[in-house]
Amino acid sequence: MKRALYFLSLLLLVSFVAIGCGGEKKDEKKAEAPKAAGIKIGSLGPLTGQYAADGNDIKNGVLAAIEVMNPEMGALGPVTLQAEDDACDPRQAVAAANKLINEKVTAVIGAYCSSATIPAAEPLMAAKIFMITPASTNEKVTESGHKFMYRTCGRDDDQSKAAVKFMTDQLKAKAVYIVDDKTTYSQGLADNVEKLCAGANLKVLGHEHVNQGDKDFSAVLTKVKAAKPDVFYVSLQNSAAAAPMLIQIARMGIKTKILAQDAVYHPQLMELAKKDAEGVYLTFGYTDKETPSYKKFADAYKKLGEPGAYSAYAYDSAVAYLKAVKAAGGTDPEKVKAELMKLDFAGASKQIKYKENGDSGSNYVIQVVKDGKFENFWNPENGQLYKK
Amino acid sequence: MEVFLQQLVNGITLGGVYALVALGYTMVYGIIQLINFAHGEIFAAGGYMGVILISWMVAQGYPPFVCLGVALVLAMGYCALLAMAVEKLVYKPLRSSSRLSVLLSALGMSIFLQNGLMLTQGVYDRAYPGEMVQGGFEIGGAMVSYMQIVIVGITVALLVGLNTLVFKTRIGKAMRATAQDKTMSALVGINASRIISLTFAIGAALACAAGIMVGMYYGSVRYDMGFVLGVKAFSAAVLGGIGNITGAMLGGLLIGMIEVFAAGYISSEYKDVFAFIILIGVLYFMPTGIMGENVDDTRV
Repeated sequence: MKRALYFLSLLLLVSFVAIGCGGEKKDEKKAEAPKAAGIKIGSLGPLTGQYAADGNDIKNGVLAAIEVMNPEMGALGPVTLQAEDDACDPRQAVAAANKLINEKVTAVIGAYCSSATIPAAEPLMAAKIFMITPASTNEKVTESGHKFMYRTCGRDDDQSKAAVKFMTDQLKAKAVYIVDDKTTYSQGLADNVEKLCAGANLKVLGHEHVNQGDKDFSAVLTKVKAAKPDVFYVSLQNSAAAAPMLIQIARMGIKTKILAQDAVYHPQLMELAKKDAEGVYLTFGYTDKETPSYKKFADAYKKLGEPGAYSAYAYDSAVAYLKAVKAAGGTDPEKVKAELMKLDFAGASKQIKYKENGDSGSNYVIQVVKDGKFENFWNPENGQLYKK
Repeated sequence: MEVFLQQLVNGITLGGVYALVALGYTMVYGIIQLINFAHGEIFAAGGYMGVILISWMVAQGYPPFVCLGVALVLAMGYCALLAMAVEKLVYKPLRSSSRLSVLLSALGMSIFLQNGLMLTQGVYDRAYPGEMVQGGFEIGGAMVSYMQIVIVGITVALLVGLNTLVFKTRIGKAMRATAQDKTMSALVGINASRIISLTFAIGAALACAAGIMVGMYYGSVRYDMGFVLGVKAFSAAVLGGIGNITGAMLGGLLIGMIEVFAAGYISSEYKDVFAFIILIGVLYFMPTGIMGENVDDTRV
């Protein structure tokens, strides 16, 4: 009897590990065994924790790029990936960067959070390893004068300009309420917006900070509700943080227009917030999904799941590096850098052409959530609405 | 005033959830003087079991309240069994060894369970299907959603049920006796092992209900959700006086209230700081917590 009970308990514990019914089983490709020859690139991003979805998007984007580029690499190949987890934590990012250095990668695609990218860049730059971030939009990323630092996405100073222009020109807003979750990226962006509001005759009714990982925003939302702003500007580190906020906004009956930013742009937002995500505006880089280069990316990505916000940017970053390596005929950092600066090609996300400081230019547009999908809504360049 | 009322409503909802989880900590501590660190993970497992069951039943087309009710009962049963299994396999063999080894095995169990959830359920947030209970009403400028009413209702029902169980039934009497003196209660014919198992089961069932309600309220669950909430619920148990059931309820409510009022009147970024400042302050003047008795440690 006693033995049977013991056995039963053991079975239950095992069953706990097996209650996987309906659990999301994403493609987890094992890091391939290191080979003597070939090119090894690293990816850096949060693979666990609250920003895991975004980190895995980056990893998968690089995997798709490797699959597309491998046949073209000829004698230089094969290209392999070493994916590391930084959990969006500055310390873990530096540790992961050092691990990638020991693994002898020649380029790192990542990271996601600006607060991880900036510290991780230090050891990588010292080791002359390229770092191409597909997602870190904070201005400081490319302003440290690092020689091998590149950025495929846009910059937050441009993003905040687009956001403020949208609020004043299109929404005709007079007052705005701002919230951020205190990361280098989210607070940096929110501060930029606040500064620009002063010059744009847009009154900032309040600027609140919440903690990373918070799920209860009732206190902030109560203040927002009482302040009655025309626009509520939400700068959070990712979609999983924004979804509960949108749910609570709807629950509290706040009818204010909501403007969010690129980190919130993710299919996961609609999955988690469902109908409460409807009508939310976001700033995100313009991507034409009808171009042949985007379709090539989408084909390669198909078996990895649905592309996330920064999958295409990660793909382009890896493709750009591999193109440069191919042109340089090897992975010598100086030669590759010279080739990288010459690049000008149609990527999946946009036209990729790096500037002297490593940036590739911003092309922020306003998108809106409509019927569970992101749609282009307004172009800050010409102040025109996109046609349906 | 608007802010005050709104925060009061939010504080009660949040505090109730903390109280439910805190009870598991306090009951287990009361009976075997173990801080069961794996309790937060049981809470998360409950949240996941809820999302699995509710998603499945919603897909079958059952009405929301049936889904919620059935899922709540089944998931609570599952968590109770899980906690009993943990107790039998991990804590019981160590019962006669030093308290430190049991504490460490509790920490290990917490890591094991959290990683088990991560490996089986993935690292992504998992969405609860739709909003089970929609709408709400306004009272004095404060928005009260039906969801909050359901949560508070379930919480109150569970707390009343627990109180009846502990203070009005024979099993409850046996539990209190075991908590007071294990050897002595065994001498008068109480099966201490069974009572300890039962205590784990009850605590887990309450945490499980809290997990489901948190999942519904915020719309999603994640494998590591048990950690932060576990820490707060544990603080609530300590604040109320660990080992004391009424204290845990009170502590939970207090931590919830302090958090939302600090967020509402001072700043959201410091809400946790204030909750812990109050905790430290109370413990400074009342080292055993608000309702805690002064127990001579040589007894255990």
